[in-house]
Amino acid sequence: MPFFKTSFNGYAVKFSPFFENRLAVATSQNFGILGNGRIHVLDLNPSGPITEIASFDTADGVYDCTWSENNENLLVSAIADGSVKLWDLALPLTQNPIRSLHEHTREVHSVDWNPVRRDSFLSSSWDDTIKLWTIDRPTSVRTFKEHAYCVYSAIWNPRHGDVFASASGDCTLRIWDVREPNSTMILPAHEFEILSCDWNKYDDCLIATASVDKSIKVWDVRSFRVPVTVLNGHTYAVRKVKFSPHRESLIASCSYDMTVCLWDYQVEDALVGRYDHHTEFAVGVDMSVLVEGLFASTGWDELVYVWQHGTDPRAP
Amino acid sequence: MSSSTGNGPPPKPWEGARASSGPAPFKPPSPGSTSDVVEASGTAKPGEIVNTPQRNPSATGTALARPVPTRPWEQNYGSSYGVNAGYGSGMGYNSGYGSGTLGSYGGYGSSYGGGMYGNSMYRGGYGSSGMYGGSGMYGGSGMYGGGLGGPMTGGYGMGMGGPYGEQDPNNPYGAPPSPPGFWLSALRVMHGVVTFFGRVAMLIDQNTQAFHLFMSALLQLFDRSGMLYGELARFVFRLLGIRTKSRKVHPEGPHGPGHPSATHGHNHIEGPKAAPSGSWDNVWSDDAVRGN
Repeated sequence: MPFFKTSFNGYAVKFSPFFENRLAVATSQNFGILGNGRIHVLDLNPSGPITEIASFDTADGVYDCTWSENNENLLVSAIADGSVKLWDLALPLTQNPIRSLHEHTREVHSVDWNPVRRDSFLSSSWDDTIKLWTIDRPTSVRTFKEHAYCVYSAIWNPRHGDVFASASGDCTLRIWDVREPNSTMILPAHEFEILSCDWNKYDDCLIATASVDKSIKVWDVRSFRVPVTVLNGHTYAVRKVKFSPHRESLIASCSYDMTVCLWDYQVEDALVGRYDHHTEFAVGVDMSVLVEGLFASTGWDELVYVWQHGTDPRAP
Repeated sequence: MSSSTGNGPPPKPWEGARASSGPAPFKPPSPGSTSDVVEASGTAKPGEIVNTPQRNPSATGTALARPVPTRPWEQNYGSSYGVNAGYGSGMGYNSGYGSGTLGSYGGYGSSYGGGMYGNSMYRGGYGSSGMYGGSGMYGGSGMYGGGLGGPMTGGYGMGMGGPYGEQDPNNPYGAPPSPPGFWLSALRVMHGVVTFFGRVAMLIDQNTQAFHLFMSALLQLFDRSGMLYGELARFVFRLLGIRTKSRKVHPEGPHGPGHPSATHGHNHIEGPKAAPSGSWDNVWSDDAVRGN
């Protein structure tokens, strides 16, 4: 599979839930510290290079993006200036973004579309809050403010449209129900900041967390005193963790150690694959929902790789 | 949303699979749209803006097990970073600042304090005489104190973006002149600086080990460049004919290497065996000259 060169440093990559050959990439200039941002929408070709079908520019870095689950052209992005912007691929560039939602008071670090109810999405920010948005409202529906430090990631439960989890720099993972005033569970999951979390797609009680302490832990929310398992193998902070949409026990992760790792948390030698194709921090990884075993990753080396599990991402 | 299809994506691979390995501790899902569900639960609070400094985690009844670190952009850095810390609060990043924040103004270095207070001056319209004239205007702490005491204190809480051009409705002295371009642009630059430091700090936060790596790489680079320049300087000196290294090995005597005195000295260094004896006769070529 070929790679795609972005003009800025990669921050996140997401496969479209509608088209098996489409993905979106969030990028930021100057490592996201100062400068502009750009969102690329890419199409994979069975033979030939990856083509860009659209790109949207922003005045500040883009830290994350997510595809809508009820409109194949709709894309949501988390912008470093505290705004959440919605983009419509069907509209010309001049009419985009179709919406800019500015309620967070600091950088927005993650966005996630509700895959069950499909009419809402979450944004988490460095202002310690998570906001719930619906597509029919110009303002957020609710704000979840309990974390005592930046919230790096807020992810919907893939089987329950009212439940989501949030990972924060206050070293806790919190489980929320949008109908409850406060979080329903608090897991002091790591001794250091938690940068990412993701739900198991086949067991809605299992959740994985990735932390600055270089480890990934899998938790069962029914008995969260001890983790189900601890996955060690990364040599620096783990930036993102993702459960496979196809295999119950498969986990993908990327890290500041510049590698993308694959884990099977149910076997003893959990590390089942390590890809070191990036030459800078690997900060974005995703697995295709529509094509089993198709991976995408991006990093600060300004490259987006798409590859089939077991093959070399760099192979032409 | 011009092209809303209303159709969902293809079914997810996990749909239809067994839901859970046991009873989940979640309430059963509610029917209806997300906004309806949230509103029915009574937890909806549309468009709430949360300001980080006002937020009180203990108020939620979910105190943490361990102390939470200060946010990187809120830390009170040493005096050399005063511009950063001070600016963050002065800027009213998050509009509502309490008295605690105002107290932190005391820590400003005078050189930076000027700009900050100067701008609050513009808003408040205090110091009616010589608005931008006197040097005391921008630097004077007395000036600042006045501003704080007055009814304009609220002005400090204003956000960074935009309000500087606006008129203060509470201004008893009439509309203040619009802020000079210089200060405005300086403020914008400073805002960028604050954002920069905040994000760098966050990155360091997220990746402590990599920061260590970065610093050691930087130090190594300095080290190497030092060596490089050292070599370069030596090369230039050589070109100019200047010897930078003194030859300390085997210092030669005034008469040259072949002269007996040099050899004699050497012999002397050899130690107590210097006393002439038969066995040494052939060892030193100039023994004969010395006449034994």
